[in-house]
Amino acid sequence: MNDILLEVKAVSKRFGGVAALKGIDLVQHRGETLGMIGPNGSGKTTFVNVISGHTKPNSGTVSFDGRSVSGTNPFQIAKAGLTRTYQAVRVFGELTVRENVATALVDARDAASQEAVAEIADWLRITHRFDKPAGSLTLMEQRQVELLMRLVQKPKLMMLDEPVGGLSSAEVRTMIGVLSELKGRCTIFVIEHTMKVIRELADKVVVLMAGEKLAEGPPAQILADQRVIDKYLGTADA
Amino acid sequence: MSDANLIILLSTISTGLILGSIFALVAVGVTIVYGSIWMPNAANGQFFVLAALLGWTMTVSWGIHPAIAAILVIGVSVPLSYGLEYILVRRFYDVPNRNISYFVLSLGITQILTGIFAATYGRWSDQFQLPPLVSGITFIGPLPVANNRLMVLALALSILAALFALLRYHRYGRAIRAVFQNRDAAALRGVNVKASYSLSFALGNAVIFAGGILFALAYSFDLTVAWTMSITAFAIMIIGGPGSVLGAVIVGMVFGFTQAAVSTVASPTIAAFSYLGAMLLILLFKPSGLFAR
Amino acid sequence: MTPVTEKKDLSLLAKGHGLPLACFAVVAFATPFLLSGNRYFAFVAGVTMIHILWASGMNLLYGYTGLMPLMIAGLAGISAYTVVGLTASGWSFWLALPVGALAASISGIILGLPSLRLKGFYFTLCSLVIQTVVTLGFIYFSGLTNGDTGISQIPLPSMGGGQPLSGLAYDLVLSAAAVIGVIVLIVIVKSTLGRRLIAIREDDELAGMLGINVTGYKMIAFFIGSLFAGVGGALYAPYIGFISPRSFDVLISMNIWLMVAFGGRGTIWGPVIGAILLAPLSFLLQEYYTVKDILYGLLIIAVIVLMPAGIAGGFLRKKKESAPPLDVPATPRGAK
Repeated sequence: MNDILLEVKAVSKRFGGVAALKGIDLVQHRGETLGMIGPNGSGKTTFVNVISGHTKPNSGTVSFDGRSVSGTNPFQIAKAGLTRTYQAVRVFGELTVRENVATALVDARDAASQEAVAEIADWLRITHRFDKPAGSLTLMEQRQVELLMRLVQKPKLMMLDEPVGGLSSAEVRTMIGVLSELKGRCTIFVIEHTMKVIRELADKVVVLMAGEKLAEGPPAQILADQRVIDKYLGTADA
Repeated sequence: MSDANLIILLSTISTGLILGSIFALVAVGVTIVYGSIWMPNAANGQFFVLAALLGWTMTVSWGIHPAIAAILVIGVSVPLSYGLEYILVRRFYDVPNRNISYFVLSLGITQILTGIFAATYGRWSDQFQLPPLVSGITFIGPLPVANNRLMVLALALSILAALFALLRYHRYGRAIRAVFQNRDAAALRGVNVKASYSLSFALGNAVIFAGGILFALAYSFDLTVAWTMSITAFAIMIIGGPGSVLGAVIVGMVFGFTQAAVSTVASPTIAAFSYLGAMLLILLFKPSGLFAR
Repeated sequence: MTPVTEKKDLSLLAKGHGLPLACFAVVAFATPFLLSGNRYFAFVAGVTMIHILWASGMNLLYGYTGLMPLMIAGLAGISAYTVVGLTASGWSFWLALPVGALAASISGIILGLPSLRLKGFYFTLCSLVIQTVVTLGFIYFSGLTNGDTGISQIPLPSMGGGQPLSGLAYDLVLSAAAVIGVIVLIVIVKSTLGRRLIAIREDDELAGMLGINVTGYKMIAFFIGSLFAGVGGALYAPYIGFISPRSFDVLISMNIWLMVAFGGRGTIWGPVIGAILLAPLSFLLQEYYTVKDILYGLLIIAVIVLMPAGIAGGFLRKKKESAPPLDVPATPRGAK
């Protein structure tokens, strides 16, 4: 657990007059589950957008698995093994689940890929929905499809932006189970407002506040940190 | 500077001012409609020519005085706009990405109007000329300028000034601008968004019609100006920044001068090439335009 | 365990497109024979075949990739003028054809490439501007193109034995071109390339996030679509015998788009039907172009307002291709 998968140095991003990220430094090791918390508007999604290549930072560097990915195209970063999900679930709504998954595969007809898909779809319990248009599925099912699409690509790092947003408490429990299982397959980075997820999954937590890193450390320590409680946890759903 | 060169210079400047203010009017009309209801109107040139042709019918066929005809033409645009809005435009207000649907819709309208014009006016005449608003000539230095054209320039500039005042100070204008910026926020503040939409559409088209009738009063024209005007108006809007009225005015004036200057030294085709080239450059490198909010 | 995708199985292809394809091929090749008695009708059929080819090219870009390139006629024109110029300098038509088609493809990429970053309306506007520039270019560089006067008395291509390719033989060549075009489109749509283009059409940002090189694939689609335009343009010139800048202007691009939109974008056969219905209409109404303009304008409005999915979208909804989104090319994300 000591090789570095993601290294972020002094990343800053402004949108017009607003500084969304101010000099963020962060390190994530392979196999280390990183949680990111913070109030709305603190820059968490912008952070993911910068790492995944959707937004170009104004300054700073990002390196992934030993290679610099600053300024690289999103699709190349994805091919390098870094994938992400979206805060508002995003699938190809008009295509069937089967077609959605096929899009994520390099070669949909390859037997090994097909087996991998079958196996993952099975433990996600989404197989019975394969021929439905993805847009017609429930939120939980769509989130599962999102995960399936990422997992079949065998990513090294999965950045999940509020994976339990909008789910019922039973669904949240299921998703926490899914995500723990996921930890065995790739390294994950989770942004969340629901502290239960962070507490049960994260090895390290980073707190973002108004574009700056307020604190960093193991969950127990962070969640007990007075500054964090004062500025954020008082309002968060723990 | 010799008298001959001075005349050319003054002539270019006066033509530039008149053309510029008319281009500005049409571009402002197009940008108001695009900024408020997100409708890029490719048929703006056809509306422009429609105003001119209606003006021609009123003055030449019916003998109405040009000043009255101008007011009537602009007035006619209002029910036309509301009618069009009711039948076609209204359906798309809540559709995401409606700008592309509107664009293609307006291309359809362009084709229909092209056909109608060719079938009617096209058969009656090649060139159309309206009687002047006022007669007489004024001398600016050595350059004789028709009072008619000076009048057109004055009217065009007044309309632009009035528009500025409307958008900035009047209740309706402020409502339109609020909806421009953010329709949900405007709705929360009590603005009747749908009424504002209809109003902007009517206002934008009225301005285009004003441009058309003023152009017809200043110059003779033929049916081909429709397509040229559409391209020019889009070029101005894109370069100035879609939704920016100030941008439309400034870039419109620049285009007017460019057209006047280039036509003296080269052909109008070169002018067209340069507009299109400039528009392409902006589209590719700074799509938000020069004067983006 | 259910497989992820259907295997590339001929029996499946037969269930999907095999039958309509066979019917189409039979009709395409039989028509010239059936109409050989009446040169006029045979000619209209020939022109329709070219439009089927063009519509299929436009369909690849508009129906399957979600781009609306209104400069397709301009590209066909580049190919036509190139071929006419080369044959006038002594080249064999059959050598000039691939050169012309390639000229169209390369122009398509050069002209299309910078605009690939633009979304929806801006892309369409850009393509419209490019089309206008191309038409102006055809008029302006009259040294090469004979300007607005056009080039007439274009010689027919010659066949093996020195005989000119005319009448029935030429009609059959055009039918072959249309059939091959449709086959190529089917193969592409069923392939990985097709799957990715559809993903790009649906949500290009998500497609990119999944590792798909969106710009690269759009360029490939552009290249192939332009190739269709170019082959059609090359075959068109000697068939009609006369070309001018008006033959390849923005109205022609709009007509081709209308065939796809009216017939049903994102389906294989929709645009074919659209071409079969609208190409002869366009040809027959040539004299009455004012009526044609009004009619086509109304059709455009009807398609946008009433039937965005076209004829095929309404009646022949195929399960294998995804249902096209309700409004004109765009990603189903929030407004503005």
